[in-house]
Amino acid sequence: MAQSADPFAAPTQTGWVPVSPRLATARRITLLLEYLLVVAGGVGIAISPLGTGWLLAYVIVAVIALVWIWWIIGRRVRSFGYAERDDDLLVVSGILVRRLVIVPYGRMQMVDLTAGPIDRWLGISTVQLHTAAATTDATIPGLLPDEAAALRDRLAARGEQRNAGL
Amino acid sequence: MTPRRTNPLSPLIQAAPALPAAAVFLLGPGAGMISRGGATVIALAIGGAIIGYAAFVGIASLLWWRRTYWIDDDGDLRLDSGLIQRSARRLQLSRLQSVDVVAPFLARLVGLVEVRVEVAGTGDSRIVLRYLTRADAEALRTRVLVASRQADPLEPDAHSPADPLALVPPGRLMASLLLRSVTAALLVVTAALLVMTIATQGPAGLILVVVTGGLPILSVASEFLANYGFRVDRTPQGLRIRRGLLSTQTRTIPPDRVHAIAIVSPLLWRRWDWVRVTLTIAGVEADQARPDVLIPVAPREEALRLIGEVLPGLDIDALPFESAPPRARWRAPWSWRFLACAITPEVIAARSGRITRTVSIALHAHVQSVRVTQGPWERRLSLASLHADTAPGPVTVVARHLALDEVDDLAAREVEQMRRARLTPWR
Repeated sequence: MAQSADPFAAPTQTGWVPVSPRLATARRITLLLEYLLVVAGGVGIAISPLGTGWLLAYVIVAVIALVWIWWIIGRRVRSFGYAERDDDLLVVSGILVRRLVIVPYGRMQMVDLTAGPIDRWLGISTVQLHTAAATTDATIPGLLPDEAAALRDRLAARGEQRNAGL
Repeated sequence: MTPRRTNPLSPLIQAAPALPAAAVFLLGPGAGMISRGGATVIALAIGGAIIGYAAFVGIASLLWWRRTYWIDDDGDLRLDSGLIQRSARRLQLSRLQSVDVVAPFLARLVGLVEVRVEVAGTGDSRIVLRYLTRADAEALRTRVLVASRQADPLEPDAHSPADPLALVPPGRLMASLLLRSVTAALLVVTAALLVMTIATQGPAGLILVVVTGGLPILSVASEFLANYGFRVDRTPQGLRIRRGLLSTQTRTIPPDRVHAIAIVSPLLWRRWDWVRVTLTIAGVEADQARPDVLIPVAPREEALRLIGEVLPGLDIDALPFESAPPRARWRAPWSWRFLACAITPEVIAARSGRITRTVSIALHAHVQSVRVTQGPWERRLSLASLHADTAPGPVTVVARHLALDEVDDLAAREVEQMRRARLTPWR
């Protein structure tokens, strides 16, 4: 295997900056909320004339799925990483399908900082970069507020610098 | 120039397409009576349609015939129209972009033509005169050109109707549409279904035939009407494209707004070496149904010449393509030989496809970001795909299933070229 040059390898100057593990907590809370529907389905089976065998099978499948998704969320969150190089921002993510986005600061049109209710409660937010291309998918979730704001400001400043030469 | 009127036959031609519709409309209520009344009702309906048509034409003629046009002393082309509600329009000929004499099908039958005068500007900046005799039209065209030159002697030949850079003959257009991979496949299926239906004398297949035969016929017909008479001209503003049978569309492609191009060659076209060229143009909301087309079908040589007009100095045959490694056959058994990526100082190019081969090219200066993706299979084979993101449009540049270390190198080079290209734009 030619592992000498891997585009997903961490840049030597900085390495991948990981995102906060609180992101996993946020996503797991969302998962639990979604699981209320699954529980409702279980209650439905319990009060229906179907036997306890069905209910048992349903519960087993639901619990296995929950544990599996729980574990996947942890891995996915750990797969996120970003790196600020001199001229561009790198974002890496994904476990089954791995993705790397390289956005030169000069191509950035807009930097978004967002946080949903659960995110705010846990104190994390998402930074998203927009370019003129709709396919640019440079999203960094799970940043601590100070880190996110500082990153946004740095990116905006660099974008302006790079654009100033035009 | 003394004011002149458009030809009194004009409304007749303009209303002609409505004639069959009028007949159907009148036949509709009478349909129930046809079984009883028979031929009489049909005759009445057709007769009614003709009378209604004649009445309409009579009124319309009065209105239309009052259309007068002339060139005033200021060098403006003016058009007055309307009997009850008068309207007047004036075009400043010193800003003339084009003056065209066009002969639509029905008008041609009675020896009339249409004159279109267009000036630079946004919105409705043209006058279309329907219809004039050919002699009148030529006289008007000459006067318009003279008037525009008097006002602007610096650009004498900008408006002269030079030979077009490219023309798509209707026969080739039709052939190319029928030979598109999906269309051809559906037509073959339809033929097979028809043969089976006849052979088994069962009507079961007929419903399918409506779908498999109807869809391609509809798409071929609409594409044919839209791209009929496709013509590309060179103007000072860029390449000007005209197309359309029932309605003519004109658009100018400013070369500096072209972000990416794709050269597409479906399987059945390759026998004649035909290709289609589409474009991603910045700032233009691309029509999803009809993406920006530089040429719908042309021999490769001609298409490359046109691309040369948009991106001078780009030699597509000399792009230094680096191919996918043989192990990519496990991921893309059909197309792996064709998959490749090339980076030159100006562009990044990607080749893909087996049945329909596509070469997509994006200008470094307009690439917005670089993405590398790797699915589970690619990971096993130590492959990855490289995406060059551009503004929304019909062209996507993706080099799939290349060797991982090569993608690493290509991504680094592309990022470097993007940075450099921003500093020194194309030309």
